[in-house]
Amino acid sequence: MTIHNDRTRIGDQNLGVLFNEGKVRRRREWRGVKDTLYDYGRWLYIISILARFIVKPRNIKAMFRYRWMANYLAVPHMVDKFTMGLRDEPLRIVHTAMDFVVYDVAQTMENIFRGDRRTGNDEKFSARCVLTDENAMTAFMMGFPTLKAILREVPTMFVANLLNQYSTTHYLDVAQQAGIPGDVCPMPEAEAGISIEDDFAVLGACAVQVNTTCDGSLMGNGIIAKRLEREYGIPTFQLVAPMRHREADVQDYAAQDIKNAIAFIEEHTGAKWDWDAYFECAKRVNDITRNRLAWLEMNSTNYPQFVGAPFSLYNDTNYMGNCGRSPKFPPIDRKIMKYAQHGYEAKRMMAPEYRHRAIIWGVQPQYVIDMLNWMIHCWGIVPLTDMLSMVNTRQIAEVDTPENREQAYYDMAWLNENMIMRNRTHGGYKVLVDELWQFCEQMNADMVIMWEHMSCKALDGMHGQFEEQARERGIHLVWVCHDLCDPRVYTRQAIRDQLNTYMRTVMREEPLDPTIEFLPDEKAW
Amino acid sequence: MPKVVKIPLLLLGSLAALFVVTFTVYFLNLDMKLLSKIEPFFLKHYDKMPRKNYV
Repeated sequence: MTIHNDRTRIGDQNLGVLFNEGKVRRRREWRGVKDTLYDYGRWLYIISILARFIVKPRNIKAMFRYRWMANYLAVPHMVDKFTMGLRDEPLRIVHTAMDFVVYDVAQTMENIFRGDRRTGNDEKFSARCVLTDENAMTAFMMGFPTLKAILREVPTMFVANLLNQYSTTHYLDVAQQAGIPGDVCPMPEAEAGISIEDDFAVLGACAVQVNTTCDGSLMGNGIIAKRLEREYGIPTFQLVAPMRHREADVQDYAAQDIKNAIAFIEEHTGAKWDWDAYFECAKRVNDITRNRLAWLEMNSTNYPQFVGAPFSLYNDTNYMGNCGRSPKFPPIDRKIMKYAQHGYEAKRMMAPEYRHRAIIWGVQPQYVIDMLNWMIHCWGIVPLTDMLSMVNTRQIAEVDTPENREQAYYDMAWLNENMIMRNRTHGGYKVLVDELWQFCEQMNADMVIMWEHMSCKALDGMHGQFEEQARERGIHLVWVCHDLCDPRVYTRQAIRDQLNTYMRTVMREEPLDPTIEFLPDEKAW
Repeated sequence: MPKVVKIPLLLLGSLAALFVVTFTVYFLNLDMKLLSKIEPFFLKHYDKMPRKNYV
């Protein structure tokens, strides 16, 4: 099963040298002349994005108004976490994907502060904005080319926690002071805390929330919607996707709810649905799906190229946040594909050897999202794919005909039902348990890293079924418990230690790079 | 030294100096070290801000 890398890694061999007990790393990695210069060039690009962002007065104002903005000091540090130990094509793939995610988030924040009543206060622009739930497929915005879908929770909470592990703790305290229990999923709870403390930007003609992934999200959305509607006068629509989304008899209802959402947006913005724009976006959605399937096929071989958190986060951004609306994504997809094909042909590997091929299942700990990259370098475990990336595989109707206009509502509903996470955490044990074993077989995986989010009621109920069925199939099932975006219960090292213990005691293996088995990053960003 | 030689040399020298400075900042992670020192001042500022908490 073990595959050895014929190429010796140039530059730093032991990655532990980069860490001390500080908030940031001791220095950046030496990757040999060519790759260090490449990484330096990309660092300059990231710095240029940040510089162009911060020179605008409204963005400076936002920096002093919103607590979560301080996390954005750590953007280059976040990119370094994803590129640790990488060389050649994998390094270029991660930079291409993640640098574009950074650019896309910066654009989102530009739009947010342009319309925000407290900073830019561009009222005309704000009237063209629709606040969209962070956990929503933005499919229902595909036919509104003149409107902006603003996913304000993405930079405020989701990305902030990738940047700084402690980004949510203040807001969790605020929520709990208001009486919300501490065992709720910390993601919606932190979002509720942000709303309670009035730390969300305020803009938009209307908002669309979805019955996202869990009951915790519904609780958070309720608090947020109340403030939006009663204090800021922003009407909020509840788009409700059926739970049993694979059943044929729920699809009419789901399509009707998409029609209702579109009618609501038309009513509050004055914009009209544009079928030409919709089908243009649909072509891009299909392109995204084909590319994701091609990368997954490559990851089924001995030489996976586009893996780990960057694969997942890029898919989140492209599949869900973008949903075919931006023409800027397809060239990035093509660039990644070019690198991936070169890397595959040249049999590029990210570590000296690959010992195990793992499917990552469950919901990832946001505050140690780079653990998958660490796993490759420390233990030679390749993360082939993750639960959040196993989404829609169907091609949707992309030609404008009268029949396809009706089909389009069903396609948008299907995409909404198959947003990341919901398509696995809801829909019954088949989509969560049975299909995992199919993916293991398809991708030749011998291991499943099972994230056990301690506050996630949706997944915890299936614990016994996973254990029993993994044993029957001879698959190594490694449970890794965490608290999603609150590092105070399970520290980063406590999370890594669960895998370390399994690898040493059950697998009887020694790490590839012992200098990173224990990392002093409890105080790090 | 004639100007046609001096100007390109000056330009090259400036670019080389810029490269040395920025590469040193990059490699020693000085950008992150500096910004990590700034963060506590922002946090103190946010703590002092009046808030309109509402559930």
